[in-house]
Amino acid sequence: MRVVHRLAWVGAGLVAGWLLAGCSAVQKGTGMLADVGTKAESRRQAVVKTSSAVRSTFSDITEEEEYYIGRGVAALVLAQFPVYHNDALTLYISALGRSVAEFSSRPEIYAGYHFAVLDSDEINAMAAPGGFIFVTRGLLRRCANEEMLAAVLAHEVGHVAAKHGLQSIKKSRLIDAFKVIGQKAAERYGPEELSQLTAIFEGALGDVVDTLVLRGYDRKYEYEADALAVKFAAAAGFAPQGLPDFLKVLIGAGATGQGKGWFKTHPSAADRLDRVNSVVAPAGAAAQFQAARTLRFQQNTKGV
Amino acid sequence: MKRRIPGILILGLLAVFVTLVLAETLVVKVQSTSLRKTPKFYGAVVQTLAAGARLEKISSQPDGWIQVKTAAGAVGWIHSSAVDVQKFNLLAMGGGLKTQASASEVALAGKGFNKQVEESFRAKHKDANFAEVDRMLVLKVAAAELEEFMKQGHLGDWRGAK
Repeated sequence: MRVVHRLAWVGAGLVAGWLLAGCSAVQKGTGMLADVGTKAESRRQAVVKTSSAVRSTFSDITEEEEYYIGRGVAALVLAQFPVYHNDALTLYISALGRSVAEFSSRPEIYAGYHFAVLDSDEINAMAAPGGFIFVTRGLLRRCANEEMLAAVLAHEVGHVAAKHGLQSIKKSRLIDAFKVIGQKAAERYGPEELSQLTAIFEGALGDVVDTLVLRGYDRKYEYEADALAVKFAAAAGFAPQGLPDFLKVLIGAGATGQGKGWFKTHPSAADRLDRVNSVVAPAGAAAQFQAARTLRFQQNTKGV
Repeated sequence: MKRRIPGILILGLLAVFVTLVLAETLVVKVQSTSLRKTPKFYGAVVQTLAAGARLEKISSQPDGWIQVKTAAGAVGWIHSSAVDVQKFNLLAMGGGLKTQASASEVALAGKGFNKQVEESFRAKHKDANFAEVDRMLVLKVAAAELEEFMKQGHLGDWRGAK
């Protein structure tokens, strides 16, 4: 009996010990609850040790870091392509893009999805990490209806949702960055760390911009974005024909557009069409009320 | 020392312990989002939540919506893409051997590629067009306008509606 008693005390002690450790952990965490999440305040708090996992891949990039990478990539893209300033048109594209983004696998992103029209005759569309999405005037002119444009925007949302842009950053750069970032708990970086980190940031932006503007993604990412585009657009209520219809237009424009924009950075439209057709059929029957959407598309893109 | 420890006490302690280890805390990872009355992007907003806000998970749906409770006790819905799941790792507590930060630590501290790094980059790259990026951020479609847009286009909840 005595042995049993002693064992029971030891057991209870162990449990109490764990419990105390647990409580202190929870207190550290909930201390931040009180301030309703104001970031400045939470930054002042000691870093909470909640996980021992060390960062190693693109998937460990935080939402805020992705936002700053995206801002940098967008700023470099916009240094090469002037913006077509037409707020009414941009707001229409934003509403359309948000309509598919809300039915994507990533409706919420750090600072939301944002759109701009590029003043270029090239047929092109690009997405920077963090949800900065671009379409050219040349592309808008080739879309015959809202379903086609929704499909293009859904393809770009697909790249963002699947983090394809972040995956084009060289792995060695990320490992270097995580090392510098992880060294200190200080709020601001010292001059040496800052210059190291800026150099890595510069390199990372270069990796993404090169991929978006010059090299293009690996084919498998394009096919994946196409499949996601069909899925997101259909979930939002668009006719699934939007993407195959747009790809047919690309095939038609192929002779004149070769070597530029989407033709340079994307697999051949015929290859994409073959694959897309196999996902369009199961996506469901044609959506209703397409006429209302086509009408507003025509009104909003008039004269582009 | 004659007093017996009631088995129920041990069981109770164990139950609390297990709850603590398994308690799922969600942390808002986007700049700001809304706690919503229903599991939809449209409709009533209970309150706004900022990055770093902690929430307790109540239940979840296969479509990605999670029902949560704030520290102040407000209950509502949030989309899974807006939060990180944080499990308290008791085994890692007090471990002084860690030399690098995890993603959630970096996120909470606002470290990593941040405003300071962007400023340093901008000082070296005057050509980068951040003015247009900021303009993109300003052009926004309000929630009510988006709802109207979807209604007008017979999209989302309004597909098939006359």
